[in-house]
Amino acid sequence: MVWLSARWKLLIMVVPTLAFFTIFVVYPVFYSLYYSLTDFIGFGTAQFVGLANYSTLFTDPLFWTSLRNTAIILVMSVLVLIPLSFLLAILMRRQFRGARILRALVFAPGIIAPILVGLIWVFILDPKFGLVNALLSAAGVASPPIWIGGSALGPISIAIVFIWSTLGFAMTIFYAGLQLLPPDVMEASALDGASRFQQTRYVTIPMMRETFAITTVLVITNVFKIFELVYQLTGGGPIHKSETLVSYMYFITFTSQQYGPGMAFAVIITILGAIVSVGYLFLLRGRRGVNA
Amino acid sequence: MTAAEVRRVPRARRKRTRGVLIAGIAAYLITFVVLLPLFWIAVLSFQSNNSILSDPLSLHGFSWANYINVFTRVPLLTMYGNTILLAVTSVTIGTIISFMSSFALARMVFRWPKFQSGIRLYLLAGLAIPIYILLFPVYRVDIALGVFGTYASLILPYVAVTIPFNTLLLTGFLRDFPSELEEAAIVDGAGLWRLCWSVVLPLMRPVLATVLIFNVIYVFNEYPFVSILINNPSMTTVSLAVSQFQGQYSTDYGAMMAASTIILIPQLVIYALFQKQVVAGMTVGAVKG
Repeated sequence: MVWLSARWKLLIMVVPTLAFFTIFVVYPVFYSLYYSLTDFIGFGTAQFVGLANYSTLFTDPLFWTSLRNTAIILVMSVLVLIPLSFLLAILMRRQFRGARILRALVFAPGIIAPILVGLIWVFILDPKFGLVNALLSAAGVASPPIWIGGSALGPISIAIVFIWSTLGFAMTIFYAGLQLLPPDVMEASALDGASRFQQTRYVTIPMMRETFAITTVLVITNVFKIFELVYQLTGGGPIHKSETLVSYMYFITFTSQQYGPGMAFAVIITILGAIVSVGYLFLLRGRRGVNA
Repeated sequence: MTAAEVRRVPRARRKRTRGVLIAGIAAYLITFVVLLPLFWIAVLSFQSNNSILSDPLSLHGFSWANYINVFTRVPLLTMYGNTILLAVTSVTIGTIISFMSSFALARMVFRWPKFQSGIRLYLLAGLAIPIYILLFPVYRVDIALGVFGTYASLILPYVAVTIPFNTLLLTGFLRDFPSELEEAAIVDGAGLWRLCWSVVLPLMRPVLATVLIFNVIYVFNEYPFVSILINNPSMTTVSLAVSQFQGQYSTDYGAMMAASTIILIPQLVIYALFQKQVVAGMTVGAVKG
């Protein structure tokens, strides 16, 4: 291989990738970092203003609303999505007829464009003609909840839709994790007289701790990226009450064209995401350490 | 096997069968609930708008009116044409250059090996960057490069943002893959280009399929870049068109559901065809760690 690795050949192989990546990913990150510290208004020269944009954001109550909404979605996702997808993976592991097809079907929502997912769910959650409230009214509920468009349930509805679209993905990761469990441990515990429930509780779950951690981290990273669902379901309204971090950042940057605070907002979102990613790497490092 | 054991087996099996049955029923129920929203819009898309608004549960009649309405008003040809154009060009470029750099980073000999692993980490670091921090700067870069308003304004960032994932998958594959065949080809006198094209590329077909399909889905479903980089209706993509349905049809829900169904069906058909690669592509990072 050495004599095929002349310097000019290496350059041809690596430079296109490096150029694309540097110009359209790395440079933009530093661009955002830099302009988050200026009073840039989209044209002309920008003055350095230190952390003023960050303090503007921190004094904006809607920033905290969007953070709170994202936190609500995050907590709901972790509390509902993780157990539900794990349970589903356990069910799917039993050898009933059609299990393979069901696994594929449950995964299907995950490949639908998020912008279309949001639209589809408008027809399910709309308070007047949506499926859920139609069913509730038919069941005799006098005033069914205002899932979208009201002031309270916005983030919860967004969480429901997010859970719907991520369920199959999380289930698939758990399913793959279950396949990796050593069968002899299962057999041993079965021989010792453990019931299915006891096996799951005392053998499967402890052995799958890493899979749980990885799935949780992936779900959290995806929660930080929720944008299209908000756009379609509530538009962030009423009066920005249902914005998430990204949707409100989009509004600040592109609708109200406050580029300085918008860039600061993007930097904050990136840092929050990076913290989660570092945690993820830390977990993987820990696993390697255990195995070695 | 003793007589007692022989008698015990059926009972254990019967218990197992009952467990499987319960699990199966539960799994079918959950799957049904998951798919219900999709069935629902498909069913309602054949109802008149008045019937949907007055009582969505009362299904009467069956009409193609909403579909005729959509086919005459939605520029399906334009938006699919644009989306396919963007997907094909950006995924082709992205896959080729990621393949080249991944091969170099995993196999070729750098004078400083630290530099080699450094470049790989540099590219992988992109996995942690949310695209939202790139939106506005990419818009400025597009303007500076003079490509704003052209397809290149989207193709260039699409290629760039898929590089980290492609690098993760391709270098990972090459690292786990023995290089004997390549060495044999080199001994037989193959040059670098021949080696890549006729030896390595065919070997990597499965992982390249995963990369291709994952990237195509990304470009097809992409909305944030499209929403700020396209300002010309003739360049509309599928995602952009979907984002405008609510404004366009305001209260014509029947038409909106028909339009959603029309866009949903090809996506689901493609998923059905490539289900294995799609699932692999979307979960490989998580499962392999």
